[in-house]
Amino acid sequence: MSSLIMFLVAFPLAAGALLLAIKNGRLRNVVVVAAAVVVASASVATAVTFGNGEAVFFGLPFDLPASLTLGRLLLVAELAIGAFVIVVSIQNRRILAPLLVGGQIAISLYLEISGKLPEFDLSRLFWFDKLSMIMVLIIGIIGTLICVHSLGYMRDYHRSNPLIKGRRTVFFALLFIFLSAMFGLVTCNYLPAMLVFWEITTLCSFLLIGYTRTKETIGYAFDALNMNMLGGLGFSLAILLLVNGNQTLDLAELTAHAAPAVLMPALALLCLAGLTKSAQMPFSSWLLGAMYAPSPTSALLHSSTMVKAGVFLLLRLSPAIAGSNLGTLVAFTGMLTFLFVSLVAVTEQNTKKVLAYSTIGSLGLIVGCAGLGSPELIWVGMMIIIFHAIAKGLLFLVVGTIENRLYSKDMENFDTLLSRLPKVSALALTGIAGMFIAPFGIVVAKWAAIRAFLEIPGWQGAALLVIMAFGSSLTIFYWGKLLIKVLSMKCVDDAELAIEKRVSRFEWLAEGTLAAGVVAVAASLGVISDKVVGPQALATFAGTSRAFLNIEPAMLVSMIVAVLFLPVLAVWASRQRNWCDEADFYAAGRTTSPDRTMGAALGQTRSVTLRNYYLEGVVNGALVFRAGTVICGAILVALIAVGMVGR
Amino acid sequence: MSFFSKSPWILHYDASSCNGCDIEVLACLTPLYDVERFGVVNTGNPKHADILLITGSVNERNIEIIQNLYRQMPDPKVVVAVGACACSGGIFARAYNIQGGVDKVLPVDVYVPGCAARPESIIDGVVQGISALEEKRKISA
Amino acid sequence: MNVNPVVYGVLFVFLAPVFGGLLAGMDRIISARMQSRVGPPLLQPFYDLGKLLQKNARQVNPIAEPLLLGHVGFMAATGAMLLGGTDLVFTAFVLALAALFLVLAAGSVNSPYSHAGAERELIVLLASEPFFILMLAAICKVSGASTFGGVLASPVWVAWQLPGMLLAFSFVATIKLRKSPFDISTSHHAHQELVSGLTSDMSGRLLAYVEMAHWYESAILAAFVVLFFNWAWPLGLGVFAVAYLLEILVDNSTSRAKWQLVLRSSWAVTLLLSGGNVLALFLLK
Repeated sequence: MSSLIMFLVAFPLAAGALLLAIKNGRLRNVVVVAAAVVVASASVATAVTFGNGEAVFFGLPFDLPASLTLGRLLLVAELAIGAFVIVVSIQNRRILAPLLVGGQIAISLYLEISGKLPEFDLSRLFWFDKLSMIMVLIIGIIGTLICVHSLGYMRDYHRSNPLIKGRRTVFFALLFIFLSAMFGLVTCNYLPAMLVFWEITTLCSFLLIGYTRTKETIGYAFDALNMNMLGGLGFSLAILLLVNGNQTLDLAELTAHAAPAVLMPALALLCLAGLTKSAQMPFSSWLLGAMYAPSPTSALLHSSTMVKAGVFLLLRLSPAIAGSNLGTLVAFTGMLTFLFVSLVAVTEQNTKKVLAYSTIGSLGLIVGCAGLGSPELIWVGMMIIIFHAIAKGLLFLVVGTIENRLYSKDMENFDTLLSRLPKVSALALTGIAGMFIAPFGIVVAKWAAIRAFLEIPGWQGAALLVIMAFGSSLTIFYWGKLLIKVLSMKCVDDAELAIEKRVSRFEWLAEGTLAAGVVAVAASLGVISDKVVGPQALATFAGTSRAFLNIEPAMLVSMIVAVLFLPVLAVWASRQRNWCDEADFYAAGRTTSPDRTMGAALGQTRSVTLRNYYLEGVVNGALVFRAGTVICGAILVALIAVGMVGR
Repeated sequence: MSFFSKSPWILHYDASSCNGCDIEVLACLTPLYDVERFGVVNTGNPKHADILLITGSVNERNIEIIQNLYRQMPDPKVVVAVGACACSGGIFARAYNIQGGVDKVLPVDVYVPGCAARPESIIDGVVQGISALEEKRKISA
Repeated sequence: MNVNPVVYGVLFVFLAPVFGGLLAGMDRIISARMQSRVGPPLLQPFYDLGKLLQKNARQVNPIAEPLLLGHVGFMAATGAMLLGGTDLVFTAFVLALAALFLVLAAGSVNSPYSHAGAERELIVLLASEPFFILMLAAICKVSGASTFGGVLASPVWVAWQLPGMLLAFSFVATIKLRKSPFDISTSHHAHQELVSGLTSDMSGRLLAYVEMAHWYESAILAAFVVLFFNWAWPLGLGVFAVAYLLEILVDNSTSRAKWQLVLRSSWAVTLLLSGGNVLALFLLK
């Protein structure tokens, strides 16, 4: 087990280093695909080895040399990260990031030099349970698929953006280094080590957002860096507080029970770190800026995995903060974020941004569940992690593919997508179905969350219900709009159909596998609930035993039908050709044709443009976003304050 | 069993009418005549309609519209020309832009005379249209 | 007498169209009487449906018809699940999905009228959905049950605890039944700015599916009212009848509102009446 985990951390790192040296495109394809296969197999092997077991703790498979303590190793890593951030910031004349990273380095140096860092039992360096297993599988399978997808995507990306200087060696190296850090993050049990992995993911995100090195993207990259470094600083401070209070740095011990008041300040800071990483308000803006990165980056870092690190930490902390004021405040930050970003999303036209808002919203739901903390809600949180990672990852990839074909991310330009890019549409529909079509996907989770909210007494329960009711209706609205665009049809000629033939086989492979994964997860929902998520949720809260959703065979069948309905229908409909002769539409008696034109005055022919509603005049997106940031910011201040006084 | 006779939905199109017949058509919907008693609905949409009821004569500009509306009605369907103008062009027949009656461009099933046509005769025309509708359904079935 | 709730679910699938059709028939007669007309026969909606099924359908694209079948199918399934003992809150989500299929069918068509109707129907969904989630959640909370049968068996008188919710229901039902002033997405009357809104391009049996689905929807709304009057379900149906009468009156005496008003007012009502009621419920319990 321990060697497998070491392999999962070390191998992608080595692969990343190797990729830095490879300039040849064809060779890179081979290396990336091979490395992806190895990493995916290793992650599956890890899950298989783990079997159905209880949580396990283990150390390194080899002994560290006497001169090299874990503390020093971590310090070196932190100094390297810090130095890099400072150099890059000075190059770009930024001041905030060096300050934040300087604070972290100061804390690390202080702890190391003062010798205050307590001796850590190395045999408890890693903690592997079913939550880690879920994360490892997500990173190992979905993550590598996204890497493979990038091979095709980046080629087209640079073809359609000739002004952007290609730095694909760095790009692929970063993806694999990131995978390595993620594997470390989700299996680590020692907080200072987790922090190092945490910072590496921040750095990868920063570099990938700034990939194109335009003034605009560098600005967004620094936004992301600053906010995540702020979270990192919170993480460091939490470690400092724990050390000063002679508390444990063992994550599993820290979160085994409801935390006593003395732990609250550190927990509050850890929550801060989790909230920044998962882009909850008031930190949501960095994830929107991150959408300017190439689409596979958005899929991998900013939807499927890295932002999940934030909610992963919060789910870990959940048993410690549940029931406290801190937990309640965290929950409200998440739920209000869900509500506000859903409201903003209905006014957004950029598809990637809609997906980003939806991501922040889904993460908000998980944060809400983690903050309130009950076995049912942990169940919900983990279910959303699974559904979201696979379905949203797929959607980001598909939008990337569409973007390279249509040269646009604007939802309005996706009009009649089903006729123009039928197969891509079917994949998109699978992703959307995975995200929100009842009785599948996140809807199941939302339903379970409402059931859990009903049990929460006082105004909190009522408020959460109202937030959920409105938030979830808003998601129907923006998904509905996207569906209208994807599902609309017109008659196309062969030239237009040929566009789809240029999608690379890497993209088909990754997207097809993910789509199959959506269906597979739907089909095995009962098994996942019974064998993995349910037991884990119960184990998180020691001493509870409850039955979770009873999923009957008939329900499973209906789920598979529901998730397959739209994609299968889309494939079938796009193959029909005979309707074009009689399919004119009503336009007050004017002559119309199925390729969306209509007769106008003086014998002219005009094309018809159909646009979605964006609720102009009722919902002001920018204003709502600002309001949400202010409100959640206030809650965050309260959260830190409550944590500091330890109540 | 056929439901056509119990549920004739009408699309009313005003070609180049002086509005006299149109007012009479609308009069059919009022409490005095209340054609909804017979299941008649004034749909305003060719895709829902069974009977195309045209008032006024056909001119150069609306030939295209009339033909489109007729084509967009799903089968079986009938055309009822209401009033002298729709039947023959009426007093506008010799105007420079007038083609003549509706039958210049569409196969008319029922002619309702009058200037303006009286509501009673319009209802009568619709009822005759229904029997034409039934016949067409039998032929197509 | 211990009947398996699945039986009720199956019965719903077959009987709800009869209920909905008769309701539509009475609606038309009462509307006519309010306008001093005689109106059509009671069975007119069934004649219309029969005719639409006998008529040819003009295909506007290959996807509209299957989507509409999905609309009817999920509408029937929602009712069947509701009566068949599925969790109440869950049915709120399925109901929304069923409604969404109509939006997608209309949105797939190229007609501007149809498309505008689809968008407005989406707004209607957005306006009404928060209420239905809140309502069903609150009913579960009050009665301590989670299924239709459970609520009926509960000793708690639901309506007494949820007066605000019931008031809000009468408001939101106007939206859901597509009655004036909230009939923004479609209309049964001619000469409107949207022609027939989201049904503009649906002909023959496609339109029949929409009608059928609407009948199912009316029956589902009636079932919701029954939930409020769980101690005597005939009373619930009676209240539904009276409420429907008022809906017709409102329909005939108001003109169409803009979508902005629909959205704002329904959200305000949901937030104040339903939200307030839920808050009171949680604070007092």
